[in-house]
Amino acid sequence: MRVLAASGQLGYGFTEQAFERALGLGIDLIACDGGSMDPGPYYLGAGVPFVSRRAMKRDLALLLEAGVTRGIPVIVGSAGGGGGEPHLAFTRALAEEIAAERGLGFRMALIHAEPPRDALRAAVAAGKVRPLGPIGELDEAGVDAAARIVAMMGVEPLQAALAGGADVVLAGRASDAALFAALPLMRGHDPGLAWHLGKIIECGAQVTEPRVGQDCVVGTLAADHFDVEPGHPDRRCPRVRVAAHTLYETPSPYELTEPGGVLDTRACVYEQVDPRRVRVTGSRFHARVPYTVKLEGVAALGFRTVFVAGVRDPVLIAGIDDFVRECRARVASEARSLGLADDDYSLNVRVYGRDAVMGEREPVRGATPHEIGLVADVLAADEDSSRAVMAKLRYMLLHTDFPGRQCISGNLAIPFSPSDLPAGPAYRFSVWHTVELDDPLSLFPVEIVDVGVRA
Amino acid sequence: MTRLADLAKVVRSKNAGALLLTLDLMFEDEATYRRVRDSGVLDAARIAALYRVSHNAVSVIPYDVAFAIKITVPRAHASGDPEDGDVYGAQQHAPLLDLEVP
Repeated sequence: MRVLAASGQLGYGFTEQAFERALGLGIDLIACDGGSMDPGPYYLGAGVPFVSRRAMKRDLALLLEAGVTRGIPVIVGSAGGGGGEPHLAFTRALAEEIAAERGLGFRMALIHAEPPRDALRAAVAAGKVRPLGPIGELDEAGVDAAARIVAMMGVEPLQAALAGGADVVLAGRASDAALFAALPLMRGHDPGLAWHLGKIIECGAQVTEPRVGQDCVVGTLAADHFDVEPGHPDRRCPRVRVAAHTLYETPSPYELTEPGGVLDTRACVYEQVDPRRVRVTGSRFHARVPYTVKLEGVAALGFRTVFVAGVRDPVLIAGIDDFVRECRARVASEARSLGLADDDYSLNVRVYGRDAVMGEREPVRGATPHEIGLVADVLAADEDSSRAVMAKLRYMLLHTDFPGRQCISGNLAIPFSPSDLPAGPAYRFSVWHTVELDDPLSLFPVEIVDVGVRA
Repeated sequence: MTRLADLAKVVRSKNAGALLLTLDLMFEDEATYRRVRDSGVLDAARIAALYRVSHNAVSVIPYDVAFAIKITVPRAHASGDPEDGDVYGAQQHAPLLDLEVP
């Protein structure tokens, strides 16, 4: 059977040329990953996508039109980016809008992935939740403190949706590879090959050359191998690029943990069958008991205001640390006069041109750049407090004296007006754990809705 | 001695989840890959010193089929934490570039 990955991310785009060509090969499943935690905690916390609505709608419309008119199931996973309730609702509304505009009718499954807190508290109390990497244990207070927690589904909820007659599946947070593996596994394909194929094609055109934007990739599953090829006629899949994708965003290329088991690539062979196609054999999947899924969650930090400015004065650059320290002390004093105690906010000044990218890991020390950038941010409980502290900081950075100062009308080149940029609510990842499930479906209720009128 | 940057085709860093940073080195040909792999330059202690982590927290995995070496270390801060400066973890590879390979 043949599965089509439309793009590495719904909203990152794909060419209609590649899509049409791929469909012409005879496709059994159209799937597309819709999310990631890579853009950081904000998007999960705030419940908004990290691609534009316009781009999501363009991509989703093409998928729905092709799938519904040709009778090919369509699966979108980690809908809306974070795969939480607002993300899923956003994507649902988009699908309904597209259906109305294009006169499409279909049965749609919505798979929820934001488990009720009492279920998570019970799992914590039962000792079924464990850290996934260097993070502390999750306790019930940690569950309560989170602004949003999603669980990452495996293939089983997707299979339940397809078995329930869904033409279109919008899944909340889901394993990327599971989107592509769910249907092949229902049809009895080898789990190692099905999961590995999913892992290889979930990032779309990342496994193709030339690398010019996102595009479609097609995977063809047989009994003892799978082939990967680009949708676009002018692209190709080089062997090394396909093999290297098994490395991508994972701690080990040999053992890739998925909901319910581990993909083992130790015995894999990658073979260039023609300039466009790579064949993979030897992938294995080891089911693990107990069945575990990943939990991802964020806690709210308050409201952030950001300020950007440049410094060109060589004396100030040479003494920037002392200068910033002095300004921080003055801001603290001024903030107290506004009723803001020192622990009511946190203030961070990054020095670009020196060590803002790597922080304490920066190996280059003592270099003197001719120009530096300052990026300051203030986090406080509410927007008003955050902006008030930032306004004080801006004034201090701009007008505070330093030894040897000649630039007495201002210390900064400020590129924007307004200079103080509200960045909205801020979050941090507070949950990065696994939870054992007795039933792979238990945290992921499947809701079936009919959209438009089915042909 | 040759700089690692002059031997590798790809030197990249990326999040492996919100808590880990993974660094991939990829080589054009098998000979160069084996030269670096077998040089002993990329041992856990050296990576630990470069990234200021315990050597127990470092993993270095050669991946023969792709002429690649994967290094994984804990992030200095979780992705997007107030102290973090690289949400995607995409610019944390620079300390590897100047390693001298015999």
